[in-house]
Amino acid sequence: MTTETTMEIARQMVASIDDLPTIPAVATQVMQLLDAPDVDVDKVADLMLSDQVMTARVMKMVNSPIYKPSQEITSLKRALVYLGIRHIKEMALTSSFINAFEDNSGAMDISTFWEHSFGVGMVSKVIAEKIRYADIEKAYLAGIIHDIGEVVLSNYHTETFAKVIKTIQEHPVKLIDTELEVFGTTHTEIGFCMAEKWNFPEAYREVILFHHEPRAATADPVLCSIVNLADLFCSVRELYYGGNAWASFNLSEEVGWKILKEQSPNLAHLDVERFCYELDDAVPQVRELVTSIFSKQ
Amino acid sequence: MAITDKDFEQLRDFIYNLCGMYFHTTKKYFLESRLTRRMEVTGSKTAMEYYSLLKSSRGGEELRFLLDEVTTNETYFFRSVPQLNAVESKFLPEIVESKGKMGFRKLRIWSAGSSSGEEAYTLAMMLLEKRATIMKDWIIEIIGTDINETVLAQAREGVYNAYSVRNVPDLYKRKYFKEDAGKFILSPEVKKFVTFNKLNLYEDNKMVFMKSFDFIFCANVLIYFDLASKSKVVQHFYNNLQPYGYFFVGQSESLHGVNDKFKTVHFPGGFGYKK
Repeated sequence: MTTETTMEIARQMVASIDDLPTIPAVATQVMQLLDAPDVDVDKVADLMLSDQVMTARVMKMVNSPIYKPSQEITSLKRALVYLGIRHIKEMALTSSFINAFEDNSGAMDISTFWEHSFGVGMVSKVIAEKIRYADIEKAYLAGIIHDIGEVVLSNYHTETFAKVIKTIQEHPVKLIDTELEVFGTTHTEIGFCMAEKWNFPEAYREVILFHHEPRAATADPVLCSIVNLADLFCSVRELYYGGNAWASFNLSEEVGWKILKEQSPNLAHLDVERFCYELDDAVPQVRELVTSIFSKQ
Repeated sequence: MAITDKDFEQLRDFIYNLCGMYFHTTKKYFLESRLTRRMEVTGSKTAMEYYSLLKSSRGGEELRFLLDEVTTNETYFFRSVPQLNAVESKFLPEIVESKGKMGFRKLRIWSAGSSSGEEAYTLAMMLLEKRATIMKDWIIEIIGTDINETVLAQAREGVYNAYSVRNVPDLYKRKYFKEDAGKFILSPEVKKFVTFNKLNLYEDNKMVFMKSFDFIFCANVLIYFDLASKSKVVQHFYNNLQPYGYFFVGQSESLHGVNDKFKTVHFPGGFGYKK
């Protein structure tokens, strides 16, 4: 549970970091351009091309199995046309996040972190589609950024966080509870403080803060619930930080599930079993995507 | 014979909708090889021709052959490792704790469609390993049932080939098996916890006597039943479980649309059903 104390500790923790990663200017500009009513694809392409790292990342992502192009897409302009504006937005943002957090000196292997993040992003997207949530890409992005606070713990409190990871692998305890015990705060408050610094829209900040307690959300509890459930489903697949042998959940008792069913009653008829099997099928795709993003070629 | 992704998806959906068995994309190659055998027997030249046969009036019979083909050699010790891990690390301790509090130290497990007994004995070994800790002084009853007398006799005999025991961890193999001329003979210590009985899951008057189980396992059996029979049998399983009990089907099976009382419980690598 987020309290004034946990929030204050998180705030101080984030304030004490001198070299907190920034979201590149190009990403912000791309976002602004894409939000304009009549988007000029050429302009977006030019702007993105000015950031070579972003261009390379977007090209790798568009050619990954998740987006399934029938033949390799070799130019950014074609990628923009193939994907459409909305997808470019998610890719530009994703790419910037990866740039901001690709340092691999933390306690947690950074590609493990991204596998979980992309996994939750992808599952969020699928759930959003199932409940006909208005903004599928928003759900995807929210999923990708939900655990951003973990990177701070991993990169700036490396030794202590390594012990936390070891604890959750060896004992039947939850990551968030262990963080609270050890740091006096958790990745949710820390992530929230970072999102504030980066001027993220409220719905995203809320997902970061409340993805473990979706009932606490006020701006968009449905979005929080989507990410909450996606996180749970990933925690019982090979898309979690170094495994999670004790994870288990009873879907019908989950708050996030209840909120989504209130929103979308037809969810009660979802073929949960098939949904799970299809998620299993998607796990290698997520891993391939992350591998391709981090490959040096 | 290679089948296209589209054909694979079509066949997968057909089998899933009819039997509740899902073929993961990683199993495409496996399905292909098993399909090839059935296609040769039935003289189907393409996957789609075989698919048409499955959908035809003779389809039901052919589907059984195909299911036999894909589930054959599926019986071995320590088959569903994610299920076993979840039972061992989570569900068993949970049940032992709540039953223990009530002073009720008896655990009952049913392996329905037990075939030659590998699943029932795997569970027995797992529980035996806990004899010094959480299962101390507990009465353990494991019941295996099958409709087929031949496999029941094999189960009671408890002699296995190398294939059946290939997944058994070394510790267990040394402790609970004696190897003799390529055969693996199960120790009486394990056998004494398990009884095998003939039972037809369709027989309501017998099903009602299978009472008070904490765990029921039923893998690769329900896929052969039509929806009405499935619903009936699963309802029996539901009734025969303790209020907090767990029910597990095979690793790629689904009970969607069969019973709306069971709740899905998710654990690393799979899911089960809770009463």
